Amino acid sequence: MSTMTINLKVWRQKNQNAQGSFQDYTLSDVSEHMSFLEMLDVLNEQLIKEDKDPVEFDYDCREGICGSCNMVINGRAHGPKRLTAACQLHMRNYSDGDTIVIEPPRAAAFPVIKDLVVDRSAFDRIIEAGGYVSVKTGAAPEANLIPVEQHTSNVAFDYATCIGCGACVAACPNSSASLFTGAKLAHLNSLPQGQPERKLRTLAMVEQMEKEGFGDCSNYAECEAVCPVGISIAAIAEMRKDYVKASFS
Amino acid sequence: MKLDPKTPSGPLEEKWNRHLKDIKLVSPNNKRKHKVIVVGTGLAGASAAASLAELGYNVQTFCIQDSARRAHSIAAQGGINAAKNYQNDGDSVWRLFYDTIKGGDYRSRESNVYRLAENSNHIIDQAVAQGVPFGREYGGLLDNRSFGGAQVSRTFYSRGQTGQQLLLGAYQAMMKMVHAGKIESFTRHEMLDLVVVNGKARGIITRDLVSGTINKYEADAVVLCTGGYGNVFYLSTNAKNSNVTAAWRCHKRGAAFANPCYVQIHPTCIPVSGDYQSKLTLMSESLRNDGRVWVPRDKDDKRHPNEIPEEERYYYLEERYPSFGNLVPRDVASRNAKMVTDEGLGVGETGLAVYLDFRDAINRDGEDTIRARYGNLFDMYTNITDENPYKQPMRIFPAVHYTMGGLWVDYNLMSNIPGLFVAGEANFSDHGANRLGASALMQGLSDGYFIIPYTVGNYIAEEELPKVSVDDEAFAAAAKDSQDQLDRLLSVKGNKTVIEFHRELGKIMWDKVGISRSKEGLESAIEEIRALREDFWQNVRVPGEASYYNKYLEFAARVADFFELAELMAIDALDRDESCGCHLRDEYQTEEGEALRNDEEYSYVSAWEFLGVNGKLETKLHKEDLNFEFVELKQRSYK
Amino acid sequence: MPNLLQAATSQVGRKILTGLTGIFLVLFIIFHLGGNLAIFGEADAMNRYSLMLHDFGPLLWLARIGLLVVFVIHAWIGISIWFRKRKARPQKYEVYSSKGGPSKQSLSSRSMAFTGVVLLVFVVFHINTFALGDMDTVLIDGREAADVKSLVIDTFQSPVYAFSYAFVMLLLGTHLGHGVWSAFTSLGLTGKKASAMMYTIGGIMAIVLAIGFLFIPLYIYFGGGCEAALIQCA
Repeated sequence: MSTMTINLKVWRQKNQNAQGSFQDYTLSDVSEHMSFLEMLDVLNEQLIKEDKDPVEFDYDCREGICGSCNMVINGRAHGPKRLTAACQLHMRNYSDGDTIVIEPPRAAAFPVIKDLVVDRSAFDRIIEAGGYVSVKTGAAPEANLIPVEQHTSNVAFDYATCIGCGACVAACPNSSASLFTGAKLAHLNSLPQGQPERKLRTLAMVEQMEKEGFGDCSNYAECEAVCPVGISIAAIAEMRKDYVKASFS
Repeated sequence: MKLDPKTPSGPLEEKWNRHLKDIKLVSPNNKRKHKVIVVGTGLAGASAAASLAELGYNVQTFCIQDSARRAHSIAAQGGINAAKNYQNDGDSVWRLFYDTIKGGDYRSRESNVYRLAENSNHIIDQAVAQGVPFGREYGGLLDNRSFGGAQVSRTFYSRGQTGQQLLLGAYQAMMKMVHAGKIESFTRHEMLDLVVVNGKARGIITRDLVSGTINKYEADAVVLCTGGYGNVFYLSTNAKNSNVTAAWRCHKRGAAFANPCYVQIHPTCIPVSGDYQSKLTLMSESLRNDGRVWVPRDKDDKRHPNEIPEEERYYYLEERYPSFGNLVPRDVASRNAKMVTDEGLGVGETGLAVYLDFRDAINRDGEDTIRARYGNLFDMYTNITDENPYKQPMRIFPAVHYTMGGLWVDYNLMSNIPGLFVAGEANFSDHGANRLGASALMQGLSDGYFIIPYTVGNYIAEEELPKVSVDDEAFAAAAKDSQDQLDRLLSVKGNKTVIEFHRELGKIMWDKVGISRSKEGLESAIEEIRALREDFWQNVRVPGEASYYNKYLEFAARVADFFELAELMAIDALDRDESCGCHLRDEYQTEEGEALRNDEEYSYVSAWEFLGVNGKLETKLHKEDLNFEFVELKQRSYK
Repeated sequence: MPNLLQAATSQVGRKILTGLTGIFLVLFIIFHLGGNLAIFGEADAMNRYSLMLHDFGPLLWLARIGLLVVFVIHAWIGISIWFRKRKARPQKYEVYSSKGGPSKQSLSSRSMAFTGVVLLVFVVFHINTFALGDMDTVLIDGREAADVKSLVIDTFQSPVYAFSYAFVMLLLGTHLGHGVWSAFTSLGLTGKKASAMMYTIGGIMAIVLAIGFLFIPLYIYFGGGCEAALIQCA
């Protein structure tokens, strides 16, 4: 098993209001089989033993589905590999002696809590504004009453796979949340179950997205490039179409 | 301690409906005067919170993640069972009930399991109405697949992300009620204690993980939906933050902990690669439909797997279980993998793995067919291991996956502390000694959507609930306990990190309280756990302070609870002088090496009462006898 | 019906307006290039064309005002997006790079604000030079008409004009490289499949328009005005 030495330049920030700065660390004996986050675990064990504050970063499932991790690695959200969340990135993608710069996603709508941990509650508020189908528990009709064309169902699923990590915002030169918002709208608006609230949902979620302080979309499509589940910017095009329809009726 | 399961009388098919008729209701005007706390926002928590809020209760939800949507239910891959019988293959509520109770090796309550099967159909309706994109047939109707060896196709799925889609449905329903002002959602908040006033659960103590402040919340009822405790093994398929703390603190306040030794170990996970390993990744067990499990016959055979000729390969599942072969249930597959690696036949750098080989399936069906079936799993495997399973066998090994045990609850899902309800994986109720595939999602949602909303209402209607205030003494005392414990952890300033302790604890648990257990092993495990726990409190090093975001402090408090739970699990496993489901005692096996139940003496739920920790865990066993009126107990056989 | 003005000024509304105005401006540019190419026609073709436009009278003014409004909206939103992006990310990245693949980050897309502002300034100079510049008159079919053609030829004999015009036209091409596809995407007209095709079409349009525009000043300069083979002077 080959090991390597990795130089890290990590953003450290005590809290939301503190001034942050970069700190340099060197890790030796990094195994190529380690995940990127396991490499940071090892760094933290080292820091704790040296009586220093460990680096805080968000993670949970470590299998790419919960959307907790969202760091920006050498300028790319979730690191260099496409369709991969940071927790699924492995150190074999790096070489001995590499320097890796790790930053939190940077957006006014995602204030830093500590180090690489940011507050993404803006996403929750966008969903809260209308990202649901209003069906009370117990009020649902028999599931097979409404057939849904297989293609439609697959398209809805593709949009529904969004893990809400915020990489789209992190990577967007404008810090736009259009892919996140568009994906949820495209998921619900494409299904028959989502039709009654389609217009209200579109208007409300778009309005909330802007209120949260995300930037405008300039169609850079960088969001699609960094999305760990590969959601297409066609979601954004769908959102705009729905927005026009909702505004004229 | 009184453990009354409160099972309604009458025929199995009528119990729940009859109970619903008898349940007391709270008038709409009064509902808005009551507050319910829901801890945890996975499938059970989010669905319970949404449903209670829709009824008009004021709900507060708490989760440790930064969003309710990230609860670990999200990682469930396979699917969710329901007795819709859309495939016309003879499925029914009874059959689903029967499979579930048999799968649980007859260590669960008939009444609860039957209700679960009944509710399964409503769950699918609810999820579809919410816009959950289940797999569909060309005709546009819902598709099903067969899962976990079931003889009918009753599993609904959203590709390999069923848990995610169901959770997002429940989360969205919950956010709708946040929007309506009926739910107040607290994220990055960890429950540290239950506040019991006059014998009733009346609130919780939490730590705001961002600011570090200890907060007090009062309510008329508390619903705990905080998941399982698989992370006591350190390495598991659970999320890194999954923990037992909320449930354990309730246990310490008087709630009985039931069947802690029932732990499900999933046979098809990606093996450990080194000490730095932080978690294990599960791959769907559907892989066993086409993959063949083997190890070299000779333990000194270090050749590349592709160079080992057919006759020198030991297809141990096929040889030992000719009729089920590679498709034996999870516990059997896991146990056999451990047996062959214990014999030194394991493969890979660590020797802790067996091969899962697709060579024959690829030769038979072609690489494209296999890619269509398992492409995403193969990609995931390649990404993690850097090996190509199309060209060489996968390496797999069992990993801790699900815990059937949990807080004891009655038919109303209420613990023995009035007002404390427990739902989802956090309770013990429906899976007995082993959980069948695609039934965890079903149970979480059945509890949350279709049971808790009624039974919590019944409790509120029946009980006198005088006003309590967070300024009361009980709240202040509990808050102080929580703060003191954190301060104590920080003050040790020892020389071993929390992770090092946790890893050591996990190793003891895996070796001696894992796939198979023995009296001797369990007794030594108990000693080792106690010694390591003492060492933990003397030597742990927790960085930083309690007054800000400090993940390693969170871990320290959780590991402290795992240390106590670990001992209880070993005690429980030691008490159960039989093998059943996932609990295999080496001493109790058939001649063929199968789990040997002892229905005469052990057909009970072990409910443990916490008495104290003083060097050792003081605990008292209470037994809830399981009566089987409707099914006949049978020994499983997969030969 | 929700307030249309509110909808138009919302984040998504603004983007849709950018797309609409962008497409309008592209159409105008195509039309404009058509007019420019009249310089290679018969000796009086270009001035004849100019006279025809003037014959529209008030309609021409309406078109001019309309064009100005569209242009101002397009520029205004573009500039406001630039300011808002600064607000949305107060702390910049130490290191930033694109992940490639489906990303449409390119010199073209990243320089939209810059090329847009240059074009805005350019248009002011351009109008000043050619619409408001001193022109001789010529007789066409017995009517007096402005001698636009001579003004163009004279102007581009100057290396400063010729090269700066050509350079700005390169920037126009750069702006359209991302802009044409982006406009269609902003209007929600590019699904997953149409998107790639539209991006290629947009790129080709950008190249053709840029070459079309920058060819004229360079050709006049290097060809020596009326000496040039393709230009017939009276």
